[in-house]
Amino acid sequence: MSERRITRRQFMVRGTGLLGGLITAMVSVPAIGFLLSPLWATTPLLWADVQGGPIDDIPEDKPTARIASIQTETNPPQPPVSRVVYVVKHQGQLYAFSNICTHMQCDVHWDASLDLFECPCHGGLYSITGRNVGGPPPQPLPQWVHRTQVRGGRTYLQVANRLREEI
Amino acid sequence: MSQRTVDPERSGAAPTEPEDEGDLIGLVPQQVVGPVRQGVAWLDDRAGFSHLLHRVLYEAVPRQGGWAYTLGSATLVLILIQFFSGIFLLLDYVPSVSQAYSSLDFLKTSDPFGAWMRGIHLWGSYTLMFIIGAHALRTFISASYKKPRELNWVTGVFLFFIVLGMAITGAMLPWDQASYWTTTVVTNIPHYIPGIGNGIRTLWRGGNFVGQATLTRSFALHIWVLPVILLGLIGAHIHLLWRHGEHGSWVNYRTRSADPGGEIAERLRNAAAPYPTRGSDPVYSVPSDTVDFFPTQLFKDTVVSAVLVIFIGVMGLISGAPLDGPANAATLTYVPTPEWFYLPLDQLLVFFPLGLVGFGVFVVVGIAATLVIALPFIDRSPERHPIRRPDVLIPALFLIGSVIYLAMLGVNRLYNL
Repeated sequence: MSERRITRRQFMVRGTGLLGGLITAMVSVPAIGFLLSPLWATTPLLWADVQGGPIDDIPEDKPTARIASIQTETNPPQPPVSRVVYVVKHQGQLYAFSNICTHMQCDVHWDASLDLFECPCHGGLYSITGRNVGGPPPQPLPQWVHRTQVRGGRTYLQVANRLREEI
Repeated sequence: MSQRTVDPERSGAAPTEPEDEGDLIGLVPQQVVGPVRQGVAWLDDRAGFSHLLHRVLYEAVPRQGGWAYTLGSATLVLILIQFFSGIFLLLDYVPSVSQAYSSLDFLKTSDPFGAWMRGIHLWGSYTLMFIIGAHALRTFISASYKKPRELNWVTGVFLFFIVLGMAITGAMLPWDQASYWTTTVVTNIPHYIPGIGNGIRTLWRGGNFVGQATLTRSFALHIWVLPVILLGLIGAHIHLLWRHGEHGSWVNYRTRSADPGGEIAERLRNAAAPYPTRGSDPVYSVPSDTVDFFPTQLFKDTVVSAVLVIFIGVMGLISGAPLDGPANAATLTYVPTPEWFYLPLDQLLVFFPLGLVGFGVFVVVGIAATLVIALPFIDRSPERHPIRRPDVLIPALFLIGSVIYLAMLGVNRLYNL
């Protein structure tokens, strides 16, 4: 019989510690993976029609709030949520702004008297092209990923379930 | 543990039989004999209830200033009220974006007792916020955080942070407009942390946008994660209180004779458990005079708790808990306003524009929070009287003043008062 390297007591002390570590690792790996899973979850690009008909009649330089029913989250699958799409025509350009303030994501609205988008939470201001021109917002007003479709001579707007810029 | 054993002089006659040791058998009237009496005696013998009661109730506490020391037990009672009313709200509440609002709207319109319970939960949280603040303030004024009670203070500050976390996750649950926009703004704050901020926001929301996963997470935090941490911290806080004994305000440690050294040595000799406090400056290790926690202090504690609970019950009934319109992400007119206890933090957001938001939220608030946690390690002098501790009193007044000033600015900005 070979010489004993550790005593029974040492074996049990170390064994208890080792098995305790194993138990911790066994439950920690799925826990941490589950916790972090939203980081690598992907959301497919889902298109939604902007409600209220074609956008041909929306006048130049008059931001107009429309609604789209957007499935923003798919992990787990969730019903679509009504979201604001500010349709803006300015100097020949078409914009489809969200009304999500880049400061704290409050609900921005177009104030015709100021000629600016205004956020009620902390007083953020954006120009008609979404440039952040006042208050605390750190970035321009984000647009929805969008595309136009011409059906029967009329232009319809569709938005996707994500913003063009990360905010 | 020898300090914990019951002093026979203080518990009445010297024990002859096990059942005479405590109060449990004493609660059974003399007329009751036979199996009931034997049953109580048996239960006490096997379970040791009297011993436990004695340990809890016959602690010595400082005699002077007893009304100021009621705030800790009042905080505990208010937290228990929150557990009680919160568990009852689970009879009805559904943590679903499509049903949370209607489940609470049902209480409001059709279940008066349920609405009352929800009112108690809301007013309980408001009251708890005040009382836990008052408790922290009195502990600060009497310098009860000094050696060896540093960890009493640290666990207490963490308890306060957990209570704030409970308040904000609770505010996220009704899924009315106030709740939806609170969720949106609060879960957006972490994204100002450089580098990892966006990831934290995604993990908190369970996605890029606020949705069902966000509500589920708030619910789990509010009813399981934070309460479990809260209970653990309460256990630690009370363990530390029993270990070191209550520290009263400075009036309890004045010496009256011409020989202060001899008077303090006398106090140390005659100290009743849990005094003298191990590791304490001898002057502050035993109060000049003590009373038993039961009934002297417990009576005062119960008076304060009863007043607070009655206030909560009445306010919960007559004022109740508000419910906005259902959550609507597509609103153009809703003005999100924070809960009143977050007004100072919300006002800070206005002060720090553009690239400074992260600095304002995390550096300024982080430094303030760290200083509050580290107070016992900063203020290490033996001095207890607040006037003789200007080096901590003045910064504390500045901090309290700033919080109140920010709150007033916030009220002015949001409500145009």
